[in-house]
Amino acid sequence: MDLLNIKYEKYKLANGLEVILYQDRTLPVVAANIWYKVGSANERRGKTGIAHLFEHMMFQGSVNVPKEKHFKYIQEAGGSLNGSTSLDRTNYFEKVPSNFLELILWLESDRMGFFLPALTQEKLSNQIDVVRNERLERYDNQPYGLAWEILVSNLYANDHPYSWLTIGSVDDITSFTLDDVSSFFKKYYSPKNASIVIAGDFDSDQAKDSVEKYFSGIPGQNHIEGKAFDQSSLHENKFIVHKDNVQLERIYLAWHSEKAYSDDDSSLEILADILTGSKNSRLYKELVFEKEIAHEVTAYQFSGKLAGSFIIIATAKPDVKLSELKEKILSELDNIVKSGVTEKELQRSKNGIKSGFIYSMQNIDSMADQLNSYNFYLNEPASFNLDLKRYNNVNSGNIKNVIEKYLTKPYVELHVIPQTTE
Amino acid sequence: MHLNRTDKPLPKDEISFSLPEIEKFNLENGLQVLSIQKNKLPIVRLNLIVNAGSKFDPENKKGLSNLFAMTIDEGAGEYSSLELNEEFNFLGTNFGVSANQDRVHLSLQSLTENFDRSLELFSLIVNQPHFSGEDFLRQQRKILTHLLQLKDDPEEIADTVFSYKVFDKDNLYAFPINGYESDVKNISAADIKNHYENYFTPVNSTLVVVSNLKKDELTEKLNNRLRGWNTNAVTSELNFNSFQNKRQIFLVDKKNSVQSEIRIGHLSSPRTQEEFFNKLVLNTILGGPFTSRINLNLREKKGYTYGASSNFGYYENAGFFYVSTSVGIENTSNAVKEILFELENIKAGVTAEELEFARSFLIRKFPSNFETYSQLASSLTSIAAFGLPDNYFNTYIDNVKKVSIEDVNSAAVQNIFPEELIIVIVGDKETLLPQLQKELKEEIFLTDYSGNSITTDID
Repeated sequence: MDLLNIKYEKYKLANGLEVILYQDRTLPVVAANIWYKVGSANERRGKTGIAHLFEHMMFQGSVNVPKEKHFKYIQEAGGSLNGSTSLDRTNYFEKVPSNFLELILWLESDRMGFFLPALTQEKLSNQIDVVRNERLERYDNQPYGLAWEILVSNLYANDHPYSWLTIGSVDDITSFTLDDVSSFFKKYYSPKNASIVIAGDFDSDQAKDSVEKYFSGIPGQNHIEGKAFDQSSLHENKFIVHKDNVQLERIYLAWHSEKAYSDDDSSLEILADILTGSKNSRLYKELVFEKEIAHEVTAYQFSGKLAGSFIIIATAKPDVKLSELKEKILSELDNIVKSGVTEKELQRSKNGIKSGFIYSMQNIDSMADQLNSYNFYLNEPASFNLDLKRYNNVNSGNIKNVIEKYLTKPYVELHVIPQTTE
Repeated sequence: MHLNRTDKPLPKDEISFSLPEIEKFNLENGLQVLSIQKNKLPIVRLNLIVNAGSKFDPENKKGLSNLFAMTIDEGAGEYSSLELNEEFNFLGTNFGVSANQDRVHLSLQSLTENFDRSLELFSLIVNQPHFSGEDFLRQQRKILTHLLQLKDDPEEIADTVFSYKVFDKDNLYAFPINGYESDVKNISAADIKNHYENYFTPVNSTLVVVSNLKKDELTEKLNNRLRGWNTNAVTSELNFNSFQNKRQIFLVDKKNSVQSEIRIGHLSSPRTQEEFFNKLVLNTILGGPFTSRINLNLREKKGYTYGASSNFGYYENAGFFYVSTSVGIENTSNAVKEILFELENIKAGVTAEELEFARSFLIRKFPSNFETYSQLASSLTSIAAFGLPDNYFNTYIDNVKKVSIEDVNSAAVQNIFPEELIIVIVGDKETLLPQLQKELKEEIFLTDYSGNSITTDID
């Protein structure tokens, strides 16, 4: 599709920083988006959550930017900003009126190159408290909030870096010292381990000059080799029951699947959509709409650089047994292996995905993040059409194949049930 | 060349930004349309807003408007519920319905190439919904299960109890949009049809459109599809009694919670052009963006929370002010004290630097509010919802610039009332109660998840 065929420039500074420029001058707004190639997958047991805690520390100021000023300077300019940490990467992003591009490049470069001297115990203790509260708010005090942690710790081997939550364990979060934080910075926060996208309304030559001006003086360090992990597998099914402050019982089924952008990744995503993506999807229609034995059901392919998993989650209506939901789910998978899916089901998913691509082009900041994402996983920022093609190529045979290949293997089964149930 | 990093770079030349033009016209059936043409992408975004929200829910049938919204797209014209959904999905069109306190919103996002067909389906929902008994009962069972599930959610409970206490039961904004179990069981398919007959009419609605279509082409398409929708509205008298609260704590026991969910606030004046910008600038300093006073204190200084904010909330016929946060149980009283301190303190006045920051934040952020099709649609929706002047966006920047330090300071005096604050805390009573009794001087009342008093003695 022509619309998805976007133009960009990509180059590298002498210190290794990758720079990607994408112009769109429809509004006087410009976005910057940096990916550091470090996430919770670079951690080890006993030190979980450092990548995410570190992301918080990056907002605590640097040599030329006092605490609280990073946010203040950008918001004063009418900008928006944030960061996020996932398994594979940490990103930082901001969007400002286009005449403030220099401001955000100055801020990003100051914390990339001049972070350590501004680090204090007071800032660290404060952000440990904040992150502890973030964990409480997002996981511990959420209904079903601990399910994910239980699921991944059972699905992956104890030393596999996808076996813990990105936010980390409370004990680990509260144990981090200034030494932990500064060695983490020295190891991973180098221009060589990062890429910056500038997207929106800017003059190309001026933007290049500004990037050179602010980032080129930061020394590049050694490249970090990612650790490879063997394809994970389970030898037998695992069954776990967890009691929580919930009204309705919920079942989780999790299988090992495939890495992001691997051959089977898009087939697994389309399978998830055919199972639960709409009212007419197979499991939704049967369990929620027709039989009303589930209140909700959802499936997805969750994949990263090292591994992937396929998850199906169903919440039971009151008085319905989880074993009944499980049986129906597995028999539908069986059914697809026997009879495949229809052309209409495939086309429905593909049409939705195609529209979704175009809807997602409305935001300059989400475009910037997508360019970085494609660059990270595929080494080609403008992969929109290639990505769309991955989905368009999926046929009924692929869907049958991925079920047989992954979803007939051992799985983790988690039941979350109300506290009061004995 | 040596780079001096110490100085913050200044902005390059001022940017130029021209506002999109808003078209305002009526369809043949009287339906008012607000539209903006945006050519960036081949997308159509449509929002039909109907004055049929939960404030119209009758006594003992709280939740009617929401259940209406859940049922209107369950089959229309020649299509069953499943067929209709399949048609939309096959087009890659997103269709959704939701209810809020004032209105029911029907929204559509489609590629322009699929707009004709999407609009045809949309018009069937507007004009020929089935409301069949079977579909209604299924949706009724669904919301009853959802109501059960909401008991798990501390944020939902805190919001519900806060509204109930702030507005009091004589006010139609006091009740949750989802209603109550006993009320929802009272609602019949006939009630849903009545709601449709009474409120779902062109003169009671506004259509908002953002698309790459020219006005003439758009108008013709809309007239063709919506011409047949032509019914009259019933007007009804609504009661929005308000009363003065006195400062008190309502504690909601959620056993085994590891956090306290906190809401602190009171009634405030409804939205008016005169006051709106003063209150906006005031809140930007007090509890709006990340660097506002409340968040910097509770998060960046004290480390009590992942985030805390305040807001002036507006309904069509009422306004309220509230602070919202969640904190570790051990810090509950401390957090409440800090919030009370900030609310007292803001009445002592703001600094020129704070005012400058707030104005700069609001003015410079303005262009980025016009980026996506849905942002534009929601801007138009707020113009319609609050009856804002046609030049609202053209005068926005000037209106923010005009706000002086005296305006902000008097807005604080006139709109923040520490003595009337309702303090709602949702958490584990056993751990919380002794702490609150020891640390806070306000009277404490226990309520259930809906805000009804529980009359056990607090000792």
